[in-house]
Amino acid sequence: MTPFAAQRTAGQPARAGSRRGRRPSRNHGWGWAYLMIAPTTIGLSVFYLWPIAQTLYYSFTSSGPFGGHTWTGLANYQALGGDPSVGQSVLNTLLYTGIQLAAIPFALLVAALLNQPGLRGRSVYRVIFFLPVVTMPVAVAMLWRWMYQGDYGLVNYLLSLVGIHGPHWASDPDYALYSVAAIGIWMSFGYNLVIFLAGLQGIPAEYYEAARVDGAGPVRTFLRITVPLVSPNIFFVTVLTVINSLQMFDIAYMMMSTPGSAAGTANPALPRVRSISYLFFEKAFVEHDTGFGAAVAFVLVAFVVLVTVIQFRLQKRWVHYA
Amino acid sequence: MPEVQSSSRAPRHRARSVAVHAVLIAGSVVMLGPFLWELVTALKPFSETTQLPPTLLPHHWQLSNFTTVFRSLPFGRMFLNTVLMTVGRTVCQVAFSAMAGYAFARMRFRGSAVLFALFLSVLMVPGLVFLIPQYLIIEQLGWLNTLQGLIVPMMCSAFGTFMMRQFFMSLPTDIEEAARLDGANPWQVFWRVVLPLARPGLLALTILTVLSSWNDLMYPLIVNTDPQKMTLSAGLASLQGEHFTDYSVLMAGSLMATAPMIVIFVLLQRHFIQSIAFSGGK
Amino acid sequence: MVLGAAGCSAGSNGGGTASGPVQLTYRIWDASQQPAMQSIADAFHAAHPNISVTVQLTASSEYWTKMQADATSGSAPDVFWMNGPNAQLYESNGILMPLSDKLTANGLSLSNYPSSLDSLYSYKGTQYGIPKDFDTVGLWYNKKLFDAAGVKYPDATWTWQDLQSAAAKLTDSAKGQYGILAPPFGQENYYDTILQAGGSIISPDGKTSGYDQPADIAGLKFWTDLVKAGYSPSLKSMTDTYPSQLFEGGKVAMYYGGSWDTLEFGKNPNLKGNTDVTVLPQGAKRAVVIHGLANVGYAKTKHPKETAAFIGFLGSQQAAEIEAQQGGVIPAYNGTQQAWVNANSQFHLQSFLDEVPYSVPFPTSKNTSVWQNQEATVFGPAWDGSADVASVAKQMAGIMNTALSKEK
Repeated sequence: MTPFAAQRTAGQPARAGSRRGRRPSRNHGWGWAYLMIAPTTIGLSVFYLWPIAQTLYYSFTSSGPFGGHTWTGLANYQALGGDPSVGQSVLNTLLYTGIQLAAIPFALLVAALLNQPGLRGRSVYRVIFFLPVVTMPVAVAMLWRWMYQGDYGLVNYLLSLVGIHGPHWASDPDYALYSVAAIGIWMSFGYNLVIFLAGLQGIPAEYYEAARVDGAGPVRTFLRITVPLVSPNIFFVTVLTVINSLQMFDIAYMMMSTPGSAAGTANPALPRVRSISYLFFEKAFVEHDTGFGAAVAFVLVAFVVLVTVIQFRLQKRWVHYA
Repeated sequence: MPEVQSSSRAPRHRARSVAVHAVLIAGSVVMLGPFLWELVTALKPFSETTQLPPTLLPHHWQLSNFTTVFRSLPFGRMFLNTVLMTVGRTVCQVAFSAMAGYAFARMRFRGSAVLFALFLSVLMVPGLVFLIPQYLIIEQLGWLNTLQGLIVPMMCSAFGTFMMRQFFMSLPTDIEEAARLDGANPWQVFWRVVLPLARPGLLALTILTVLSSWNDLMYPLIVNTDPQKMTLSAGLASLQGEHFTDYSVLMAGSLMATAPMIVIFVLLQRHFIQSIAFSGGK
Repeated sequence: MVLGAAGCSAGSNGGGTASGPVQLTYRIWDASQQPAMQSIADAFHAAHPNISVTVQLTASSEYWTKMQADATSGSAPDVFWMNGPNAQLYESNGILMPLSDKLTANGLSLSNYPSSLDSLYSYKGTQYGIPKDFDTVGLWYNKKLFDAAGVKYPDATWTWQDLQSAAAKLTDSAKGQYGILAPPFGQENYYDTILQAGGSIISPDGKTSGYDQPADIAGLKFWTDLVKAGYSPSLKSMTDTYPSQLFEGGKVAMYYGGSWDTLEFGKNPNLKGNTDVTVLPQGAKRAVVIHGLANVGYAKTKHPKETAAFIGFLGSQQAAEIEAQQGGVIPAYNGTQQAWVNANSQFHLQSFLDEVPYSVPFPTSKNTSVWQNQEATVFGPAWDGSADVASVAKQMAGIMNTALSKEK
């Protein structure tokens, strides 16, 4: 699996040039590279890659809640096939991810608006758009529950002003996933904005100047100059959005769980909101079936890897590297 | 969209600027809501937080919720722990990610594609998977209830490495080539030439890292038990009772915990301003 | 600086008396009880100057995740809180210290606690936990709404029929007023009515589900009928807003709530003087679910002797009295509950104690959450009218029997 061959545009000279005597030899160049990736390699290997390997092993075992693993081969994966909630969770996860992807262009658009020179109140807007990202999750959950409340929530109150009788957004199985997805967009918007703003900074002013001289309008400038030049960042945000959305858990958990009830969660919409990560959480941490949980996690991982590989394969067609 | 101001097209420009502000203000209202809600809830007495339908503004303003937070938690100590943890994680993550990201973006070395794919695979595994394995490693090292236990596992970041790689790849290469031809070694090129150019990317990564470690809840909670070593997010979580949570106090605590993040963002964001002046002149 | 708190590696030392000072850790999950637990730890330290106890608070939503990590690595706290659903899981995996042979030496006698609680924490004939507190469920009611509708307040003579007819009289859809809250909650709602109908949630041997018995279906139907008749807010409304909060809103006349609601209701000035509580109405018989926490010791503790001594103190009358005065919960030690009743004289809290003689322990199995976690989503359709009660009950019985058969 090596879809990640570093992209090079044609105009780029080969690295580690060895035509001149004083240049470091190719191997020497390697030495520098290894030196630069050493800390990250060590850190990720110990604290991430090793746990991943362990968990992969557990997915082929029957595991107790407090350790103790017996090799059972593919039994967990076979049990997955017989679990009716798995299929629905996959569908929920895909739908959620699709909605999150659709929101990316809007973040880019707002970033471009905020990046206009001479825009009044630019710093204030930036701070405001970033606020949801810094707000504590527990406050977020409370607020949205209150807004989505079916009988007197803010959303339905606003709808009633125009004569629409709104549903119970958070507990109606037909709407709950969309309500959760709306929170997801709201929470990641500022995050994506930060990345896009940083990308826009890298565009030299001459490009815009040239576009202006050519008489290109704002829309054309945006599509012809802004989008291609920040495409590495768009690609990054897209890949990350897919990865994070496919792993969606926190927001669903905040909206679906009922604190204080001895019976645990009690939201009738849960089957239509449950993501694959949610299923993993239930299996591993609620039902104490670590092995089965690990299998669920790796089905998800396989899924994410597949989608990401496809994205990396497709990037040649649209991502423009300097 | 960026457009050089010129007075000759003022009316059209004004109409457009009104439209732009309309979009931004509409977005701002949605984004600002929760924050105001947090503030309002923090100023209500508890009985009013459970009132139906909810009151928009407090009938009785109550500032004592903020003092209650100080009474129930060693707030100052937790604040310090959170700052130390965040600084430690951020400094390491940004430095290591920039180094690795640059290597993946600009250097050719054996195994780079495989390594990069491995690093990316870390992002594809749900975070909860790492919780107990990482705890076990820290426990083996004897670092439960220590600062290094909070920092070390998060010193490196797959996310940061990927992000920095994307930033370096979008930077023009000619300056680096020039420096290399002048006989600078790769480290000097990276340190003197590339990093200054990558400031927006470094800044964005700094902001995102500070934020994620500031709000990190589950991991600190699992490796720490001593209130004196606890972080703010974990401390706030403990304010939730089994059958009963005083939400006004919780919101007051959340506000106090997030205020520094907002201040930092306000201070850092001025660096987002276009560093290259427009020749069209402002 | 280096507080190796709870750093009890599985090093098995003989557990002889430690000569020097010993440091124990005690983990709890309820912030509102922390002061009381701290007082108990201080009182214990005063009596045993060489043993000091650190109280650790971990919120209930993360408590079990943390316990799982600690128990896996062998570094759990010396003493910690245990609840019914998790008890057998920890007992059967050898995480907990057996206490049967340590009772008398540490001044403990199981006859000091309600027997339904003792049995919740005994496994295969061995006692693993000492009851700390308990909660039962009562019928909370809004006097103002009863007065306005001219209905007599509920009392100990009430039957299911009395409740149903009162709920009908107290419902006024024009005013958005409901007779009762009928959420699909186990402990507060259908577990009690199933027991009152003569059914059981789980068989005494813990091997089969009771959900497919006619009595169980009757116990579930009691609630779904109330929703269907429109006497209760809809399932969606009760999901959006927590039932106790709907009750506090003053638009619902009756609510099956736990003794734990005392804390919140007592704090709410809007409820002052117009809210009270009585025992649950009886069905075919009287019954109520009792649940309570226990204090348990860690099997691999480095200080077994001191741990047992602290558990002994936690189970003493002195500790129960501290709890009664400061905590919002009913202490389990017989005879100390009166202080809790007196501390909240605005409600008739004696009702919760009157129910103890006919109380039934909270239903548990070895891995309770596997099936208990699914009840809400399986029963949901019966509550919103899209499925028939008998069919969801049979479906749940199937799920539960499968889960129970997997428990080794």
